[in-house]
Parts: sequence; C-alpha cells; structure tokens
Amino acid sequence: MIKEPNFTGKRIGVYICQCGSNISDYVDVEKVREEISRGKGVSLAKITMFACADSAQKEIVADIQNEPLDAIVVASCSPKLHLNTFRGVAERGGLNPYNYVQVNIREQDSWAHSDKPAQATLKAIHLIRAGIAKVSLSEPLTPMTIPAENSVAIVGAGVAGMRAAIELADLGVNVHLIEREHFVGGRVAQWGKMSMTNQTGEEIITELYHEVKKRESIRVYTGANIIASKGSIGNFNIQVKIQPRYVEPPCDPESFKKAIEACPVEVDDEFNFNLTKRKAIFFNYRSEFPAMPVVDMAACTRCEECLKYCHGIRLDQQYRIIEIHVGSIFLATGFNPYEPKKGEFGYQEHPNVITFQQLKRLLDLTKGEFRFRGKKIERVAFIYCVGSRQIDGENKYCARYCCTSAIHAAIQLRQELKVPFIYHINKGIRTYGKQEILYEQSSTSGDVYLQFVEDDPPVVEVLNNPIKVTVNDLLTAHMEVTVTTDLVVLITGMVPRVNTELISILKVPLGKDHFYNEIHPKLRPVETMIDGLVIAGCCQGPRNIAESASSALAAVSKVYSILNKGEIKLEPTLAIVNPAACEWCGKCLEACPFDAIERIETEKVPVARIIESNCKGCGMCTPVCPTEAIDIKGYTNPEVRSMIEAMSG
Amino acid sequence: MSELNPQFAKEISKYGASHFNACYNCGNCTAVCNLSEQQANFPRMFIRYGLLGEKEKILNSKEIWLCYACGDCSESCPRQAYPGEYMAALRRYTIANTEKTGLARLIFTNNPWAIFITLVIALLLGLMLLSIKPEEIIARWLFTYIPYEVIHNMGLGIFALTGITAVVGIYTLARRLLKKDAYDPATVPRKFSFSRTILALKKVSLELAMMKRYQTCDAEDDSYWKHKLWLIKPWFVHWSIMWGFIGLLIATILDFIFKDPATIMWLPSRILGTLTGILLIYGTTLAVFYRLTKPTKSYADIKLADWTFLLFLWIAGFTGFWLEIAVMSGWNDLSTQVVFLVHTVISMELIILFAFSKFAHALYRPLALYFYYSHQTS
Repeated sequence: MIKEPNFTGKRIGVYICQCGSNISDYVDVEKVREEISRGKGVSLAKITMFACADSAQKEIVADIQNEPLDAIVVASCSPKLHLNTFRGVAERGGLNPYNYVQVNIREQDSWAHSDKPAQATLKAIHLIRAGIAKVSLSEPLTPMTIPAENSVAIVGAGVAGMRAAIELADLGVNVHLIEREHFVGGRVAQWGKMSMTNQTGEEIITELYHEVKKRESIRVYTGANIIASKGSIGNFNIQVKIQPRYVEPPCDPESFKKAIEACPVEVDDEFNFNLTKRKAIFFNYRSEFPAMPVVDMAACTRCEECLKYCHGIRLDQQYRIIEIHVGSIFLATGFNPYEPKKGEFGYQEHPNVITFQQLKRLLDLTKGEFRFRGKKIERVAFIYCVGSRQIDGENKYCARYCCTSAIHAAIQLRQELKVPFIYHINKGIRTYGKQEILYEQSSTSGDVYLQFVEDDPPVVEVLNNPIKVTVNDLLTAHMEVTVTTDLVVLITGMVPRVNTELISILKVPLGKDHFYNEIHPKLRPVETMIDGLVIAGCCQGPRNIAESASSALAAVSKVYSILNKGEIKLEPTLAIVNPAACEWCGKCLEACPFDAIERIETEKVPVARIIESNCKGCGMCTPVCPTEAIDIKGYTNPEVRSMIEAMSG
Repeated sequence: MSELNPQFAKEISKYGASHFNACYNCGNCTAVCNLSEQQANFPRMFIRYGLLGEKEKILNSKEIWLCYACGDCSESCPRQAYPGEYMAALRRYTIANTEKTGLARLIFTNNPWAIFITLVIALLLGLMLLSIKPEEIIARWLFTYIPYEVIHNMGLGIFALTGITAVVGIYTLARRLLKKDAYDPATVPRKFSFSRTILALKKVSLELAMMKRYQTCDAEDDSYWKHKLWLIKPWFVHWSIMWGFIGLLIATILDFIFKDPATIMWLPSRILGTLTGILLIYGTTLAVFYRLTKPTKSYADIKLADWTFLLFLWIAGFTGFWLEIAVMSGWNDLSTQVVFLVHTVISMELIILFAFSKFAHALYRPLALYFYYSHQTS
C-alpha cells in the first residue's frame, strides 16, 4: 500500500515523460499516471513523448495558466540535464522556479532496472510521490545578490600574471599584482632564448613589465605574500605581508654596481640554479625589474660595506602588512623544475650531469665557445622525461614544454655554439603542433635520437670519463647502444611551486598531481570550486608560454564576467538559522567547509548566523545541529522527511 | 653492445643519401615494402644502423641487396627521407668497401674524379686497341714515342688487376654475408643442408630468369605501375637489360671462338646477338626515358654513377648495331672505324670497371639472395 503525500492544498501538475521510449519501454507510464492522478493535490497528470520538446513546454505553460497550477513536477531524466529547462517553463507560466521539482525516472529507474519492468514501474510511482511531497511543501525562493568589489588580486607576476594584469586593467578592473620574489618575471625570466621565436625571456618580461607600469590601475607588490584571507566571491579581504628590499630609490645605477662589487658575501645563485655565485646584495640580470637591487638578509652580515657607495641602502627596514579588498583572486603561481634525486641518472654523482634548467642558464651566460667547468664540450646527451611520465613514480603527467624546449636548445647548441654531436635519449618526442618543425630541423642537422622504455631506462656510467650512457634502443630492435658524451643534460619536467601556506589560506583545491585543480578540464578550465578564485598558467598544470598566456586570458574573461555587473547573484538554496532554536554549540561552525557560519550575540544568547556570500548550500551543517535550528532552503528538514515518508510508504 | 658513431651517417650520405636523418621512425617504408619481411627488415632498420654508425651490420647485410629500388618507400615517406635512395646509397657504399683500391669510393663519391678516371681508362683502352693492330698509321706514329710492349703489357696488367679485384670482392662479400649477427637470429648462418642449398639455387635461378621478387614491387594497388603493360614495367626493363647484356656477352664469346663469322647472318651466335642486342637497346632506352621523365619518386635523384653505367650499356648496344649494319653493307670508312673504337672501348671499360661500379650488383645481388634463401628458417 502506497502512502499518500501530505496534502497542503497546492494544485500540482505532474508530467510523466516517455523520453521517446527510453522510459516507456520499461516503465508502464499509463499505470504510473493512473496511480499518481489519484493522489491528493494532483490537479492533473499527463504523459508526454518528450517533456523537453518545445510543444510540450508550451503545453505545460498553458496548463499552469489555465488550470491554474501552484506547482509542477516533471518525471523525466536527470536534473543535471533539464532542471534549468523546466525551471524556465515554471517561470514562463508565472510560477516561482523553486515550485518545480524534477524527478529522475530515467537514469535512476528505467535505465537501471531495464530487466525488471514491473518493479521499475513501482519505483517510478514512489519517486514521483516523493517529488509531489517535496513540491507540496516547497516555498518560493529568490536568488539574492551581493555587491562585488571591482578589483582583483593576481598572485604571481610571471608571464600569466602580468599578461592578465594588463588585460584586466584595460577592462577597467583595479589590479593588485602580488609577487613573492623581489623581482617580477617568474621562471620565464631565466630562460634566455626560447622557441619558436628566439625571443629571450628577458625581452618578454621587459615588454610585459613596461606595459604593466603604463597602467595606473595596476599596483605591483614584490616580496609580498598573502598571509590571511576572509570573505568570498565579490568581497575578499586579503592581508599581504611585504618584505622590505632594504634598498630605496635615491641611488644611481653606477652606485648600485659599486655597492654590489663591495659586498664580501657570496652565496649560491638560485637564479642560475646554483651554477654561479652572487652577492648578498644583488640583481639577477642587468635590466631586471623593479630596477633596484635587493639585500638578501639571510646572507647579509651587516658589514655595511655597501653603504659606502649607496645611500639608498636601509638595512633597518621592516616588513609591513597591508589589507586589500578584492572581488576575485587570480592565481598564477607557476611551477618549479623537477629536482632529480641524488643518483638519478648520475645526478650529483658526476659534475657533468646537469639539469635542463641549468643548461638554459649556461646557454644564456655563454658567449662564443661552449665550455663547462673549464673544458670544451663537443658531445651533449639529453635524457628526456626525467621526473615526468613516470609509470610508478609520482609524476604521471607529461610536462609538455620540455621536448620542444630541449630540441630548441639543441639547435642553439649546434648553430651558435658549434657543438657537433648531440644525442636525444627520449621516451618518444612530443613536439606537438607547429613545434614539429624544430624536431625535423634538429634531426636533419645531425642530432641522433634514441628511444628507451620506462622499464629499461638508460644507464649513466659516472665512473667513466668522459661519461658513457648505455641505452637499450627501442628504435633499433632493442639494440644496446653506448653513447660517449662530455655532458649529460637531464630534461627535467615541471612540478608545482611549493605554496603550502597560500594553498591552506585560500583553500585551493589540488588535483592528484598536486597542481591546482579546475572545476572541469574542458568546460570550466580556469575556475575552481572556490567561487571567485580562478587559476591560470603552470600552477594548474604543465604548459608552455603561449598556453599560459591563453589560459591567463581565459581567466581574465572569467574574472571580468564576475566583476563587471557590480553584483553577484547567488543560488537561494542556502543554509538558514532559526535563532529561536539555536543554542550556539558551535558544531555547525566546525562542519562548515566554507567559513560561512559566524557567531553573533543577540539580546539573550549567542547564536549562529549564515554569511550568505560564503555559503554554498552544501548541507554539511544541518545533520550536526542537535536542535534542528539550521536548515537548507529548498531542502528543508520537513521537505526531505516528507519525501522519505512518501517513498517508504 | 655497440658504440654510437655519429660520423658514420656523414660517410653514408656521401654516397647519395643526403636526407635520411629526417627519419622519425614511423615505419611506413617497411610497411609498404613488398620485399621486406620479418627476417629481412628494411629500410627503416637500416636507417637506424646508418644513424647509429653500425658499419658492420650494413656491410654484412643481405637485406640491402634484396631491394630493387622501386621507390614505394620514398613515395610513402612522410618526412621526405627517401629511404629508397638511402638503400641505393648503402649498396654503393658496400661496393666501395668491398674492393680495396679505393677507386670505387672515388667514383661513387666524387663526380670530377669519376669522369676523370673513366676518361683515362678509355684513353688507355684506346691505346691498347691500337696495339692489336700495329700496322695502322696512328699506331706506328704512337709506337715511336711509347714502346708497343709497354702499352700492350699495361693493358694486360689492368685486366689482370681488375679481374683479381672482382674475385677478391666477391670473396669478401661472401665472407661478410656469412657472418653471425647477435641481434638478428634469423640471419645466423645454419649448417650446410643439401636440400636447402638446392632450394636456394632454384629460387635464385627463378629470380634471375623471371625477376619474381622484382615483379611484386609493382603489385601494390596504388602503385603507379600496377595497371601498366608488363612490357614497360620496371622489372621487365631490368630483365631486358640483364638478359640483353648476358646474351650479347655469350654471342661475342661465340664469335671470338668461331673467328670472324660476322658476314654470315644466319649463324646461331649472330641470331642470338641480334635478338639480345634488341633487348638491350629496348631496356636501356626505356630506362633512360624513365630517368628523364621521372614517372615516380624512385627516379627523382639519379646519380652520375647510375647514368654512366646505363649510357655505357646503351652506347655499347647502339654502336654494336651500327657495326653489324656496316659489316653487312661492306662500309669501311673512317666513321665506322671510330664507331668500332668507341664500341670496343666502352664494352671493355664496362668489364674493367665491373667491381668498381654499379655493375658489381650483377654478381653481389644473386650472391646475397643465395645466402638469404639458404639461411631462411622457413
């Protein structure tokens, strides 16, 4: 015996869709209609061939107005497909769209139980009754709007960050460009000549930085880290801690140069991947921006030698914390090169085994003959996919940029530095798209390509001098080939930058690969689960500069679409607190993953309050409330209870 | 285990394979080749050997001789690496590395030298011919400067030297073809077996008689030659040249044995000579025509060594017919004497340069084929 839903006096219209024959082949729709039409409150129950068809939609609109109906239920496919379609129908008929309930009798019934049509029919009746029960208790809801601050915080002043800053500024958005390092440019600044244009990283960064500086609505903070963030889409309040440079403007470039020369401290230069040394007061390269050196306080001995040449040096500067208010946060925090383990292909066991990034710095620093550690280099062997495409290791992904960049570097080695013998020991070359030209150019100019498989990696014999690399060459029927070489370059891929603090402050969702994760890789590629937080560039996954710029511009359009209306429409299905029932135990606060609950003092007792701009309506708070003081609009406890009763009757 | 030798590819490319390092190992060439099979895997594998510097593998290979340069592989190569051209270059390289004097290397790798050597040999042969008829005016004038014996003995010396070179070359190649290759178990020489030897001989004979393997080269549906008349197909052109030359050689030897029967038209040796002469002219003319009109990619890049060989054959055939008509008609003017000189010099030069030119393939290919068949596992 099927229990009837509670009768609330609403006039309800029920539409049972055949979905062509997807539903009606297994569910006896006529029987369902008969059963349903007998229910209280059901003013009409109809069968349609396709409820989503234009004619059917028009019919529903007409029924709503003629009957008239107070609420409708469509039993068809998944709400993922047509919830919004029928909400629209309800609205066109003059109903509140939340007085509509969709019941899924296709994915959850006819398709799942195609072998048991009788039971499928019974299940359809139960499901529709639950829908009727819910709609009987439904209340009209209206989406709320909140004002949005027309400004954005872009984290990371690399290629993606600066490109986005320029574009957003031109669209009229105030930009706060926050860079952790003391110089802008990110990784690209380090690369020297790059494919496919031979433009240098320095040139690209200089060009971008000049464009950034032209725009008054962009404020650049260097040495800056986000240390706290509150609020949500439209209204983030961020605290930024800015480390001092210990250097102030009134000092000419000559004096800077002398001050740097005078510094007695030498440390490994990270910009050159520790190939060279730098002073405690330093520049990375001549035209670096901001065009002012910085004092590395961790290395500085405060000997004050530099002060003799430059009066702008202030070793007593302190950090400061600023607060900024933005409508959206844009993450472009970039990547780190994979750091090989000691002994991985002879790394750190033989000084002539270096990483690709070190080679790029060498190429940028070398003029004339190619020498390494005092010796002329005539043979270079590249080992590809180091730290990428690991079957058993952590990094399963392909780092995308390395094949092309490595081959471009090989061409540079051959053409500019006259290195005659270059070997590419690879796992399959992926110079996709237009970059294929480089591969052909390299192979026809005499580079030799050998291929290995993951299970049988090349062996680097570091005890030999020169180094010998033995490859089981897949391309020559697994012949063992020994390559004698002066230099081994490990083509190391990308891993995400270490940003533990930032990730925990902003609750950035991470993928399995530890890169920032988008909502949908194809259709929502720059948004995250946190509304208003967008991602672009290599922090999201490996990509080259062109791809980083593209994703940055995609994220720009997303940010602009959030901010340009000045307000943000929120789904009305949010949590709601009944202050009379609340006893403030704090359990809901612990359960909320979005910081959407706060404690407020009332005249009598403290109670919970929902910060609606943060609430996602996830429902984590409702089951933990001991007094049922907290509820989700559109999915209230009475609604859900009545559905369960109707279904289990 | 072998050591990569990056210099080797440059050496090979001197023999006419200039673009094979464009290969990106797709394997289309091997897939499209009707003659390549599991036990004889080419051309792609040989491009690898070339790039890695596997000199021994190339010199010891039977595979390079299995290829007839039909050009299907070059046609289907997505990188324009011209694998067919490359296989031809490997044959040139092997011929050059099978004779010890270095003459073949000069001829194959350096056009000015090739022309110079050919002309010098022609001159010497011309002089030697005069020594056969010492009563001629020019001969008498010449012998006042260089003694008759010097010229005559020098000629004999050259013949002896080239003969020895050819024999040594064939011996060297046979030794190489019998070498074991650890990476290719299919090519490991097997114990002597009488039945397999007979079978191999039979297969080689069939190949020589009918070019059965060459015929499969045109068999692909999309092949340019597929629907052409067999008379003008490359295999028949090759067959005509080969049997034309062999027939003429036999006829000439018979003529020599039976002493100057040139005036009697109906002697069997004369009939053989006339028929095979027609075959030779037919084959070489078509071959020249294809090299000029380039119907497929296999004719795209013809090397001087190839042209020389073909034109020598054609001139030998053409002047042979001229002489036959001249003898029949009783002409004996200066032009006929010049034609006689050209005919004899060219024919002898072909023989002399046998081991140093493209001609060597006439013995190397059947030899490799024989070893290939006699070592085949199934």
